[in-house]
Amino acid sequence: MKHPVLSNKVRLIVWWLVWLFLALGQSLLFYYAYGKFTYIGIVDSLTSLIIYSGIAISLWYPFSFFNTGEVRPATLISNLIISGAISITIWVLITKYIVLLVLPENTDYLAYWEATFPYRIGTGVFIYGLVVLSYFLFISLTNLSEKNAKEARLESLVKETELKMLRSQINPHFLFNSLNSISSLTITDPEKAREMVIKLSEFMRYALSRKDEQPVSLQNELENLRLYLEIEKVRFGEKLITEENIEHACLEFNIPVMLLQPLYENAVKHGVYESTESVRIITHVRFIDGFFEISISNNYDPAPSLKKGTGTGLLNVSRRLELFYGNKGSMKTSKENGIYTVTLYLPIDYK
Amino acid sequence: MENIKIVIIDDETPAREIIKHYLSEVESVEIIAECADGFTGLKTISAMKPDLVFLDIQMPRLTGIELLEVLTEKPEIIFTTAYDQFALRAFELNAVDYLLKPFPKRRFLESVKKAISKIRSENGNKEPASQLLAIKPESASPVNRMVVRKGNSINLIPVEEIRYLEAQDDYVMIYHEAGKALKQQTMKMCEDTLSKTDFVRIHRSYIVKVSEIKRIEPYGKDNYVAILQSGDKLPVSRSGFKHLREELNF
Repeated sequence: MKHPVLSNKVRLIVWWLVWLFLALGQSLLFYYAYGKFTYIGIVDSLTSLIIYSGIAISLWYPFSFFNTGEVRPATLISNLIISGAISITIWVLITKYIVLLVLPENTDYLAYWEATFPYRIGTGVFIYGLVVLSYFLFISLTNLSEKNAKEARLESLVKETELKMLRSQINPHFLFNSLNSISSLTITDPEKAREMVIKLSEFMRYALSRKDEQPVSLQNELENLRLYLEIEKVRFGEKLITEENIEHACLEFNIPVMLLQPLYENAVKHGVYESTESVRIITHVRFIDGFFEISISNNYDPAPSLKKGTGTGLLNVSRRLELFYGNKGSMKTSKENGIYTVTLYLPIDYK
Repeated sequence: MENIKIVIIDDETPAREIIKHYLSEVESVEIIAECADGFTGLKTISAMKPDLVFLDIQMPRLTGIELLEVLTEKPEIIFTTAYDQFALRAFELNAVDYLLKPFPKRRFLESVKKAISKIRSENGNKEPASQLLAIKPESASPVNRMVVRKGNSINLIPVEEIRYLEAQDDYVMIYHEAGKALKQQTMKMCEDTLSKTDFVRIHRSYIVKVSEIKRIEPYGKDNYVAILQSGDKLPVSRSGFKHLREELNF
């Protein structure tokens, strides 16, 4: 944390005004103690409080050091008392030394010193308390505003993520093109149009259930993905071919709902949408060393596409893997011989 | 009166079907071809010279917008797409209309009527684009390739291979790894569609890829010159220097 006084011009001015005020207070008090007014009092008060002000500014550093983290109150208090005693001793000694230097030799400063000594100690303790209190106040106010800012940042982050998730739930491009296909099929093949409406509805129902973040069996997830791919097949016909190679025993394991959806969407988007040749999307699922491995691969057109992918889909999947499995699940991607593959390794003990 | 010749370009079969179906009720029109990707569409338009084209935007190999950019003789165009962020751009490219999928028959027939009357009235008397020209297209993310025409062939230049661009009247000369190519486009448009972090406008007539710059030297009073990896020297204007400074933090 920055120094509260030194880092801000206005505060520095206020700081010195307060010390001037304190100097005035001290000389009045000592006037009362000494019994008569003398210019020694003015010199003494000004000198001593300039010195004290310097000590108080440097007190911030041990103070902010004492006051970090989970410090016990007893430790804090004893630290404060020790540093207070040291500060006041130093202050008193330096003041005496310097005032003796400043004043002409024949003045009776020592008498003044002795008469005011108890009051001096009292002032020292009083001011020390004042300084510590204002530092305490400053730290807690700063912490509060920092906490508020942090909370606001976190909140906006959560919202943003949620929005992104919602957006990635159903791609509007997919939705409107599917509706257009249905509109067309009502004329050319009403029976098929009805089938497609039902498939789209089922797919949407499943996709909307996603916000519950309930785990589902791989079987369920794959059934839904088949729906999705069948809808895309109506749009693209022969251009989209799917293949599955799934170890039966894997089907009953649970995975987060809609985890795989973005991966298939990517395969369709970068494969089918961008290619004039037919695209084969192959799904492999198998057990391997205590994990189950899901790999999704597709061939693609190597020519550059108009826009680069944003990586949102993969990011989404890896974020969710992290949330659900901690560091136990992993994802890797590879591009080889015109075939893009995403492979997930998921722990089998996921509940 | 001759029939109006129509080409339908869309990568989805059902999407082409519905257009064909709607058109079956329109008199004196003739569908002369259907295409399922941008390249084939471009070749077909060039070869068959249709009067009217129904054009999808998101298609493999060449998008509808890119197709129109490199087309020299433009037929009347009706865009049909599920995307709506391209609408303004489509009008800039002088499209008759813009149909959002799925579209109702009434809406479809309206725009066909509009197109036909435009074609009949003095055969494609191209009026300048509307005031929409002034509005910038919503180009959310930067492009990844640029399409250019070289004689009869169409080339896709990946943006990562572009070194710099030079303004030449209404055209832009693209200097890339495999040579250079001319494209009919404004510098402003290039500046808007290329990645802001990779490319900087260093001069009224030059946009350069930042990673191509080897060093920048003072040149005369108040001027600078950028020396590229290839040894080419490009002038840097005062505002260009400011852009570079912001981009490179020096």
